[in-house]
Amino acid sequence: MFRSRSWFGGGWGRPKNPHSLERLKYLHNILCKNTTVSESNRGILVESLRCIAEILIWGDQNDSSVFDFFLEKNMLSYFLRIMRQKCGGSSYVCVQLLQTLNILFENIRNETSLYYLLSNNHVNSIIVHKFDVSDEEVMAYYISFLKTLSLKLNNHTIHFFYNEHTKDFPLYTEAIKFFNHPETMVRIAVRTLTLNVYRVQDASMLRFIRDRTAAPYFSNLVWFIGKHILELNACVRNDADHQSQQKLDDLVAEHLDHLHYINDILCLNIPDLNDVLTEHLLHKLLIPLYIYSLTSESNKRPVTSSPYNRDHLQSIEVITRNLEAILTGKTTDTPSRINYPLQRIESDDETKPSVSCVVSLFLLSQVFLIITHGPIVHALAWIILQADLSVFEDGVSKILDMYVSNAKSSVKLEFSKPQLSLEKALENTSCPDRDYTTPEYSGAKAFGYDTDQSSCDLDPELVSTSLPSTSHISESSSIAHDSTEDLVTQIQQVKADSSMTLSKANMPDSPLPDSGIESSSSKVSERNNITDEEKQKLLGKKPGTNTERAAIVEKVLEKETKNIETRPFLKTIFDSLDCSENDYKALFALCLLYALINNKGVNPELLDTLLYSELDDGAKPNTLSSKVNASEDETGSTTSQERSSNDGNDKSESFNALLISKLMAIAVLSCKPASKVRLVTCELSVRLLRTCMQGSKGAVSSRHISSVDNLRTRSAALARNFYKCDDIFLDMFEDEYCEMSKRPINVEWLCMDAAILLPPTRTPMSGIAFEKRLPSGEMERARRAIRTFFLIRELYLKLTGKPETQLPLANPAPFVQVADILDLNDSDLISCDIIQKDGTWQHRFLAVDNIQVILVEPDKQRLGWGVAKLVGSLQDLEIQGDKDDPRCLHLTIHKPRVGASAALPRTMLLRAKFKFDDHIRSMAAKQRLTKGRTKSRQKKMQQIGRLLEVSGVAAPAPAARHRPLFARPALSSVRKHSGIDGDDMERRIRRPSGHVLKDGIVVYRERTTSRESSISRTSSAHTSREGSPRARSEDIPLEDIRRNPGIAAAVPSTSSIGRVQQTIPSTSQHPNLKSTSSEETSFISKEPRPKRKGIVETI
Amino acid sequence: MAYAYLFKYIIIGDTGVGKSCLLLQFTDKRFQPVHDLTIGVEFGARMITIDGKQIKLQIWDTAGQEAFRSITRSYYRGAAGALLVYDITRRETFNHLTTWLEDARQHSNSNMVIMLIGNKSDLESRREVKKEEGEAFAREHGLVFMETSAKTAANVEEAFINTAKEIYEKIQEGVFDINNEANGIKIGPQHSTAGAGGAGGAGAGGAPPGGCC
Repeated sequence: MFRSRSWFGGGWGRPKNPHSLERLKYLHNILCKNTTVSESNRGILVESLRCIAEILIWGDQNDSSVFDFFLEKNMLSYFLRIMRQKCGGSSYVCVQLLQTLNILFENIRNETSLYYLLSNNHVNSIIVHKFDVSDEEVMAYYISFLKTLSLKLNNHTIHFFYNEHTKDFPLYTEAIKFFNHPETMVRIAVRTLTLNVYRVQDASMLRFIRDRTAAPYFSNLVWFIGKHILELNACVRNDADHQSQQKLDDLVAEHLDHLHYINDILCLNIPDLNDVLTEHLLHKLLIPLYIYSLTSESNKRPVTSSPYNRDHLQSIEVITRNLEAILTGKTTDTPSRINYPLQRIESDDETKPSVSCVVSLFLLSQVFLIITHGPIVHALAWIILQADLSVFEDGVSKILDMYVSNAKSSVKLEFSKPQLSLEKALENTSCPDRDYTTPEYSGAKAFGYDTDQSSCDLDPELVSTSLPSTSHISESSSIAHDSTEDLVTQIQQVKADSSMTLSKANMPDSPLPDSGIESSSSKVSERNNITDEEKQKLLGKKPGTNTERAAIVEKVLEKETKNIETRPFLKTIFDSLDCSENDYKALFALCLLYALINNKGVNPELLDTLLYSELDDGAKPNTLSSKVNASEDETGSTTSQERSSNDGNDKSESFNALLISKLMAIAVLSCKPASKVRLVTCELSVRLLRTCMQGSKGAVSSRHISSVDNLRTRSAALARNFYKCDDIFLDMFEDEYCEMSKRPINVEWLCMDAAILLPPTRTPMSGIAFEKRLPSGEMERARRAIRTFFLIRELYLKLTGKPETQLPLANPAPFVQVADILDLNDSDLISCDIIQKDGTWQHRFLAVDNIQVILVEPDKQRLGWGVAKLVGSLQDLEIQGDKDDPRCLHLTIHKPRVGASAALPRTMLLRAKFKFDDHIRSMAAKQRLTKGRTKSRQKKMQQIGRLLEVSGVAAPAPAARHRPLFARPALSSVRKHSGIDGDDMERRIRRPSGHVLKDGIVVYRERTTSRESSISRTSSAHTSREGSPRARSEDIPLEDIRRNPGIAAAVPSTSSIGRVQQTIPSTSQHPNLKSTSSEETSFISKEPRPKRKGIVETI
Repeated sequence: MAYAYLFKYIIIGDTGVGKSCLLLQFTDKRFQPVHDLTIGVEFGARMITIDGKQIKLQIWDTAGQEAFRSITRSYYRGAAGALLVYDITRRETFNHLTTWLEDARQHSNSNMVIMLIGNKSDLESRREVKKEEGEAFAREHGLVFMETSAKTAANVEEAFINTAKEIYEKIQEGVFDINNEANGIKIGPQHSTAGAGGAGGAGAGGAPPGGCC
């Protein structure tokens, strides 16, 4: 970019050596002669500045006199003088000037030189110089300059930039003015700089940052983030057709950037800064925009009954909204509006910024996934899990006060624009008597700014005009209390007092234990439907029958359903888990729950709300409640006595059973053929089910295990619908397993994907990954069914603690390895030449095992023995004839899937032309390979059949007899088999999916050697024999499966059918599930479907 | 300075592989083969010409910011091109490429053009990584590969310009959404007309305009 390359050819009596003191002196001379920048001399100035940087760095590395001269002549002052001139092309010179400085500060190694450079405040003067930041190039170089300087900050250099006496820190204050610059790279540079500053950990400097800049900077930052959120929300709302996905991607990534930035600050662990940041984040963004938006959609539903009917779920939301409206309302002097709650809500909606429930669930998930700073995530988690309607009475701020040690009431709980722009606010903080004030920089007028106060409260006029709702939260809450007595009384009845008391119990670290949320009103204790005594009684005696146990479960569920009405936010999340229409919202609710449960910053006690199972734990610890009672007595609550009687037995309000039932509902829906549950939703709910069922204790009750077992049966039934003997099913089955074990769900990555923010779609043309959309077509439905089965099977095994013995599909051992020496006496060997693409040529003998194709070379030492040179899997073998030469076959050989590698995608070993002696041998080889391939696949299919409990595939029979390796049937008995393979098969698969199913292509080929089979098996075996009369005689030699005895023992299908029937009663807590379950069970236990009976082998 | 497009680049790789020197060599041609001088910079811009169009390259070095996750991830996303640099005289810088690439792929937009650079090709005697290895790595991961020397300026122009060409082609193919500045591409106010005067003017290989003497 610096153009004057002809410099070195020029005259001017310039010293020859470009790197020398003389040269610098000469350049100094040029600067002296050209103090005024003009059109004519700017070229030479730029080139001089360019050379100065180079010489200085050379000097720094080689000759200290160079630097001495630079300092002695005070050459930085020339820089300043040039900079301050306004003339044509000044940006041109400025850019070079800044670049020279960048090079200087970037490359300087000598610390003393650096100190000298910084010592006379010239650098600070350059920092505050008002560059023409509208020029993109100047801006980029300027911000790079600031960033480069920030990288030089440490405990020593900080004092050159931060003046403790004048309370001045231009490097920081100038930079943060660009925090919301439209240019991404500029914003990133500002963020880098701030982090570099914070990490210096100079106490005085940090105090300055906290007192003078933190409030304005953070409030503006938070507002900036919030504006992005609103944009994101608009983008989601207006884009049902996935049109602006890229924009959405960017907005989501931007939000993540912000959260990571905030997390990076918090992770620096600067308590003062973190307090201010926490307060602003919670009060100005996370609670008013994210959390409140959770309930914002409910009011769109029509309200049909009286708003005061507490049993009506909508009415509570109306009250919620109404209270919220009062608390944040613009005008607080009209109590009469209480009488028109609906109107009020409508008008409120217009002014109050909020985002859709989906977006807020998504954003909150991201917050919990990224930020681990205790005070923030714990407060948020508390509000989500525990907050009841009182939140709207007393304001969340009271609760939050406990988390922020220096809580200032000045930060209102509201998403609103900061009253002062950052620049203005910073102007007020900067010191008027800057000792190096430049002509452009006029310092700041004394503003009478009280340093101890947040800038947000500076100007009452500004405050009142900024946004509609600005009344102070405590004021309005008191008004609410005064004027809405009726309403409050109504709400009190809904309130479950135990949750109130728990709010305190769960915040043991709170510095203000008694200033909690109880101050406003007296509480009337209204117990839940099921009293504790009742429950104790029920739990006390061992439930004798399933119905009895089910009754308890139902009772608890009912209670939890009732109680959750008082938890507006948790209720929204739970309601979102409903997948009956689609799983759009449910996915985000799951993400949020997952992120919340797994966040390290959330107090584990708090998670009892979700994880503590009241059902499975008879003896409850009383310590907590007694503590609670004590504190209540201190507050002098009028009803404390009445309450303590109940509280004695009540640990907490847990919603564990309700959550599990909701998650189960999702899983059950996933097992339906036409379900609208995406795989990712299924996987996440299964993951959560595991966590919730293990609960806070880690023990899983038998009740859960039986219901999951039931679920497993359903998922097997779903996958069974697709169980066929065609090639593709086996491949899909193994590939899906491989996919699942390779890529378990990563919720953090999931929440980085903006695509899930748009309504679920079906078409793969959307570019959305299969897991994150609905299946399109029969193939994908099969894949989905298989994967669902894997997920639920895994859950079942994990819960029961059983090891996985059947997956990945195992091949019967032993395997032939490359370089093994084999006894091939009396084996069928076919001699062939292998011709590879590059023309290389090898002679080998082809041998076919049960599952392997082996290429051997004769062993030189022993006659009749051979060395295995290549071992491939028969299962994945691709066989093709040669059009031109009947003696040739084209084979593609893949690595055998053995042991752990069975979970990996197949790898190709060889693709080559095999040339046999004559066309008869070629034909024989083809038949043998084809047959072997089919057989080896059938064995795998049998394994799958057992996994899926396909009727007729019972426990494997012991192998009829052992046969020597490679013993083959006579050539003549190898049946021609090509009909089913190759093109014909592919054509069938490509046909519209529905047909494939009904055609019943080679459904399953029965083993004919084992006689000890069930009735259904015999019948199918019989059909099989009918279909191919020769089958039996041929099959015998290939039946040599040395079975893994573990497989036989693991899932004997008869016993699992029995288990299914057993578990039916226990599912009675889901009345809607019952019918489907019995339907599917009957399918299993009765005759196999006619479709499955038709076992026909095509020849 | 008028341009048709502005492409933002980032340079990534281990410390000490010569990222900032490459940057300075490209934007400033500051290295003279005779001088033994290590000098670099974190930011630079330069105009080049592709297909008769003036294209401005803005190059941001990400050095020294690795400590903060938020910073690295945002850099990736804001760039249209990335130079992934290793040092041919230090095996470990080559070994870390996978990590860098994973990071880049995870955080960048999928269209970002990544070029693999084996730097310090002038130090043949101390070479630890064979050129073939670099080529193989690039082939495996679908990158363009080049060995450069920031010191002798060998291939430096080509590295930056070839990356720009690839981005330009992607624009022509409509792969990049050029209206979305978050991609690291900006449309300039004008098209063509070889710019004379103004900062950042040296065209790619164009004759340097005289000016000062």
